[in-house]
Amino acid sequence: MCVIRLRTGWCTARGEPLSAAEREAVAAVVRRAEQLDELEARRVGRLVARLEGMRRSAQGPAPRACLLCGETSRLLAPLRTCSICRNSACPKCVIDTPPHRSPIYSREQYMCNLCAETREMWKKSGAWFYKSLPKYILPERKVTGRYHDTELARSLQIRQEAGTISNECKTDSEPGSPLSIHAPSFSRQPSNTDSRKSISSQDTHHEWSETDILTHGVSGLSLHRTESMTQRSIAGLKRTSSKGSAYSLRSIRKEVPKTQPEKPTIPDSGFGTLEIKLAYDNATSSLAATVLRARGLIGMDMTGLSDPFCRLEILPREGTYSNRLRTKTVHKTKNPEFNETVHFFGITESDLAAKSLEIVIFDDDRYGCDEMGSAIVSLRDCVKAPTQLRLALSGASGTEPTGPRVLLALCYNTKKRALVVTICRAAELPPQDSNGYSDPFVKLHLDPDPYHKKHKTSIKWRNLNPVWNEEFLFETRPTELSRQNLTLTFWDKDYGKPNDFLGSLVLGASSKGRRLKHWMDCIKFPDHRHEQWHALTDTQHL
Amino acid sequence: MGGADIKWQKDAGDQNFDYMFKLLIIGNSSVGKTSFLFRYADDSFTSAFVSTVGIDFKVKTVFRHDKRVKLQIWDTAGQERYRTITTAYYRGAMGFILMYDITNEESFNSVQDWVTQIKTYSWDNAQVILVGNKCDMEEERVVSADRGRQLAEQLGVEFYETSAKENINVKTVFERLVDIICDKMSESLDSEPAMLAGGARGQRLTEQPQNNANPNCNC
Repeated sequence: MCVIRLRTGWCTARGEPLSAAEREAVAAVVRRAEQLDELEARRVGRLVARLEGMRRSAQGPAPRACLLCGETSRLLAPLRTCSICRNSACPKCVIDTPPHRSPIYSREQYMCNLCAETREMWKKSGAWFYKSLPKYILPERKVTGRYHDTELARSLQIRQEAGTISNECKTDSEPGSPLSIHAPSFSRQPSNTDSRKSISSQDTHHEWSETDILTHGVSGLSLHRTESMTQRSIAGLKRTSSKGSAYSLRSIRKEVPKTQPEKPTIPDSGFGTLEIKLAYDNATSSLAATVLRARGLIGMDMTGLSDPFCRLEILPREGTYSNRLRTKTVHKTKNPEFNETVHFFGITESDLAAKSLEIVIFDDDRYGCDEMGSAIVSLRDCVKAPTQLRLALSGASGTEPTGPRVLLALCYNTKKRALVVTICRAAELPPQDSNGYSDPFVKLHLDPDPYHKKHKTSIKWRNLNPVWNEEFLFETRPTELSRQNLTLTFWDKDYGKPNDFLGSLVLGASSKGRRLKHWMDCIKFPDHRHEQWHALTDTQHL
Repeated sequence: MGGADIKWQKDAGDQNFDYMFKLLIIGNSSVGKTSFLFRYADDSFTSAFVSTVGIDFKVKTVFRHDKRVKLQIWDTAGQERYRTITTAYYRGAMGFILMYDITNEESFNSVQDWVTQIKTYSWDNAQVILVGNKCDMEEERVVSADRGRQLAEQLGVEFYETSAKENINVKTVFERLVDIICDKMSESLDSEPAMLAGGARGQRLTEQPQNNANPNCNC
C-alpha cells in the first residue's frame, strides 16, 4: 500500500504502489500548485481588501443622500436607485447596467459602484463558481507580524546585552541607537507603552483586519493584546536565556548595521516554523521526539492568536494501529514554547530508514480542532545522533473537512435585515439506529437572540447523507451578528425515546479558523451567499 | 530546463489578469492529453509516448473579450492507478476537456464513465467539452465524427475533433471553453438573484412532502 500527500489529505494509490520517483514527481507538481494557489490567495486578498476599503469609505445608506459620497439630490442630478441593494446613489456613483438577456434587468437599471465592485470581485475571485469566497490572504500592512516578533525578540536581546535597560518591556528607542535604523516602525512610536500596543494591534490587524468592524463586540480584545504581549516578551526572553550564549548575541550585533532584517534560513510559506529534536535509543528501540517551539504560527481567533498543540504520528501507519501522540496545548500565542518530549516505542532501525514523522499543529478549540500547519521529517537522519531541526510548516492539507460534516450557506440579507441560513446537506453522519442509518434533522438557533427564534429542518428518514436545502431566517442587525453565535445541533429522530445526538456546530465571532472566516465573510459581504463545508463535533454544548 | 523554469515562473507569477480559470483534461490513457496541452501551451509536439505521472499543470494567460484570463490547465494521467490522485483535482476545476482517441474504440466507449467521474467529483456547474483527438490519422479512424457529435448532443456538451500533431482546433477548444465559462459566469450572476440579493425566496427552499411517511424506524 502506498500513500501520497496531497492537498486533500492522504491518498492511497490503487493497484501497484507508486515508486519513490513517481511520488517525488507528484510532490513536485503539488508544490508548484501550492505556490500558485498562494499567489492566487494573495490576489483575492487584495480584491477583498480593496472592496472593504471602498465599503469603509462609503457614507452608508441615508434617506435622501448618495450611499457612497453623501451627495444630496439635486435638480439636474437626481439620485438613482441601485437595482441590487435598493439604496440611492448620485449619478457619479452609479453605472448603467449593461443590457442583459435576463428579464430582471430588462428596463433601464442602475447599479451603485459598491454593488458593481462587489460583482466584479465575485467574478474575479472565482467566488461565482465556488458559491463562496475562495481562500484568501489579506495584504499585509507595511510589515508582517512575524517581522515584529523577531524584531522584538532581537531588540530585547540587544537591550539586554547593551545593559542600557533594566525593564525588558521598554521598547522605545533613543535617536541614534541601533534600533532606530533597525526597526523603523519602533522609532516612529511616540511613547513606550503606546508602541507596545500598536505593535500588537498591527500584528492582530494583519490576520483579521475586520476586527475594526467588530471592536465594539469584543470587549476582551485589549486584554488579549496585553496578554499576548507579555507572552511574547517572555518568549523573547526565554530565547535569550536558553541560547544564552555569547555567540548568538555576537551574531546579532554583527547584523545590526544591516538595514535588511535577518532572512530566515528556511523557506517560509507563511505558516511559521517549528523546532524539534529527535533522538533514537537503540537499547529500548524508542524514539524520543521533543517539540521545542514554534514561531510565527497563523492566528486563528478574533485577536489573531491561537491555542496550538502538536499531534505527532509515525507514517506510514501499520495496519489500523495508529501511533499518534499529542503535546499539551499552549494558550493564546502564535509563538508557543512546547518543550515537551513524547516517546514512540517499538521503532526498529529499519523503520527509521523507511518511515517519517508527521507533526501537525492544531488549534485547540471547544468546538473542534483546526489544522494550522504541518511538517514531515524523514527519520533516516536521526539514527546516529540526536538531531535538532527547524522545519518550515506547510499549509493545512485538508481544506475540505472529512467525517461528519455539513454544507452550510450563510447570507445576511440587508433588505429583510435578517441572517438567512441555508442547511444544504450533510455527509457521513454517524448511524444511530440498528438498521445502520439515522433519521437526521437539524435544530438551529442564534444565541443571544432577542426574538428567541428556534428552527428545525424536516426529518430525512434513513439517510446518512441527507440533502435538505432548507432556508431559515433570523432577524438581526449586522452589528449584532458579531456578538451572536449560530448553533446547529444534529439529531436522529426516534419515537418513544429521546432523540439521539449526532453532532453540532457553532459559528460566531468567538469561533475560530474556517468557522470564523465563514462568519466574517458573511458579515463583511452582506447580500451574498457564502457556502462552506464544516466538520461537526460530537460534543453537545448548549 | 533552466529556460523552462524561468518561463514557468514568468507565467505563474504574472498577476496581471482579470479572471483565473482552472481547467482539467481527462480521458483514457494515450488519447493525447499531454500532447494537446503541450501544443496549446508551448506549441510543440512529439510523437514519443511518455505516460504522465499522476498530474501536471501548465499556466497560460489568454486575452478574450477585453479580459485577461489566466488558465491553469491540469493534465491528468489516464491510467487507472493514478485515479485517486487525479480525482482529487476535479473539485477545483471550472472546465473539463473530455478527450477520446478517434482511432481507439475503447477510449470512446469510456467517455460515459468519465462523465460519471465528473458528476461524482466536480462542482455541479463545471463545464465540459468533448474532444475527439488524432483527427489527422484519418486512415486509422474507427470512431466517426457523427458518432462523436451524437454522443456530445446526448450529453449536452459541445464537440470538436482535433489534432495536436497537425494543430487542428486545439486553440479553438480552449477558447470555446473559456467562452462557455465566461457565459456561465455572467449567467450565474444575473439569473441567480439568490447570489447577489441573498436568497430572497421563500422561507424553505424545498418544502417536500414527507412521502415516506411509513419509515422503517427503529424506536
